[in-house]
Amino acid sequence: MNCQRVREILPELIDESRHGPAGGDAAEARAHIAACPACEREFAALARTAAALDAMTTPPPSPRLRKNFYTMLAEEKLIAAAPAPARAAPAAAPARPAWWRAFLAPLAACALLAIGFLAGRQPSPGSRADDTAMRTELQQLREQVNKMGTLVSYSLLQQQQGPANDRLRGVLAAARAESPNDKTLDDLVSALAFDPSANVRLRALEALAPHAGRELVRSGVLAALPREQNPLVQLELIDFVAATEDPAAAPALERLSLDQATDRSVRDAAQRALARF
Amino acid sequence: MVDRAVDPLTVDTAPAQRSDHALMLAVRDGELDALGELFERHQGPLFGFLCKLTGDRPTAEDIAQTVFQRMLKYRHTYRDEGSFTAWMYHLARRCAADHFRRSQSAPHAADPADLNEHIDEAPHAAHHAATRDDHALLHAALARLDHGDREVLLLSRFQELSFAEISGILECSVGAAKVRAHRALRTLRDIYLKLQNRPAS
Ligand SMILES: [Zn+2]
Repeated sequence: MNCQRVREILPELIDESRHGPAGGDAAEARAHIAACPACEREFAALARTAAALDAMTTPPPSPRLRKNFYTMLAEEKLIAAAPAPARAAPAAAPARPAWWRAFLAPLAACALLAIGFLAGRQPSPGSRADDTAMRTELQQLREQVNKMGTLVSYSLLQQQQGPANDRLRGVLAAARAESPNDKTLDDLVSALAFDPSANVRLRALEALAPHAGRELVRSGVLAALPREQNPLVQLELIDFVAATEDPAAAPALERLSLDQATDRSVRDAAQRALARF
Repeated sequence: MVDRAVDPLTVDTAPAQRSDHALMLAVRDGELDALGELFERHQGPLFGFLCKLTGDRPTAEDIAQTVFQRMLKYRHTYRDEGSFTAWMYHLARRCAADHFRRSQSAPHAADPADLNEHIDEAPHAAHHAATRDDHALLHAALARLDHGDREVLLLSRFQELSFAEISGILECSVGAAKVRAHRALRTLRDIYLKLQNRPAS
């Protein structure tokens, strides 16, 4: 076997580590390499390159990838579960490169308008009586949702298709408010607890973060924690309660950390948060 | 009383793990949560592949997201006799191509100096320096390969794919896939050696 033929076979020999034994002339080529310094050098150089390549690692992707993935998955599940007419809109939405931004808009169309729903029914804020009435209504809606789960959301959604985009806008506007009043915070808590869109829930939680010192906010977030099914939102909720170091969160975290049906990363996060208390 | 189906999450925690293929078939048949497990298993290697292919982390992340989005969107096209990994890299290739077509720019290589930051966790440790430089050189060498060569090399060395699967991904014969991979390795070796022997500036 001459040097030229051996050189042709060299990559096959290198491949053996990945793709199993090279057939054919491999044994003969090996014998040649052992006896020919030039081919031996060539083989060594190729092997070094391949080894360096194999040793090349990439640090893991940023948490953004996981975050966006689970948001997308949650939204897709919603679309799949939504009744046919609601499904048509997102399917027809134009594809944009930044899809995780693109699906914000269409999905807003197939979700519960918690803020708008409440706001639309609320008398103008100000009087105590109105405030009490609003709270009662809120409480009733909460109970109803707790009983019936997302089914309620879906039926409400069908009544609320028109102004659905307003919901996100509502959350974002609330987030911008410098000194939000109780009602705004309550709306955000409602969105966090009831809104079927993981995106809206995340935005609501973000908006609530600066007000973690308020009892209303802390207890609202705590109430949302056991209801939440989306791992992504669960993780954010856990971060939130961990940051507040509210001992009242311990039982909920403990339940989460032990629940086998819960996503692994969520259980781990709950455990880590518990360790901080 | 409602008769409830077996909770898929309970099945997941059973000792016998479902294969990638079984999970993807489940996704196709409507159990969308199964894609979460596939994401957890494959996001790292897929991101690594795209990172080395594009030389740019944010771009790699964007493309990886698109890949998972398309898995969901095109789940109905996943075939009974499919290989999940091969399908994923097939999609990844397409997504990368679309990405570069859209951004109207050729895949560009990152500055090796940038890559240093990501590669070494202890940049000040002297004994790491040699490895770090080697990594940077290799990154630079990879970046100088043409896109097709880089692609076939990364597929053949990193992703536990057989040449039969690689040929499927690249839509060529097994023989051609091998020839391309081998040629790419040789070219990389040449560039790598040249960079190594270049006096430090
Ligand atoms: Zn020789």
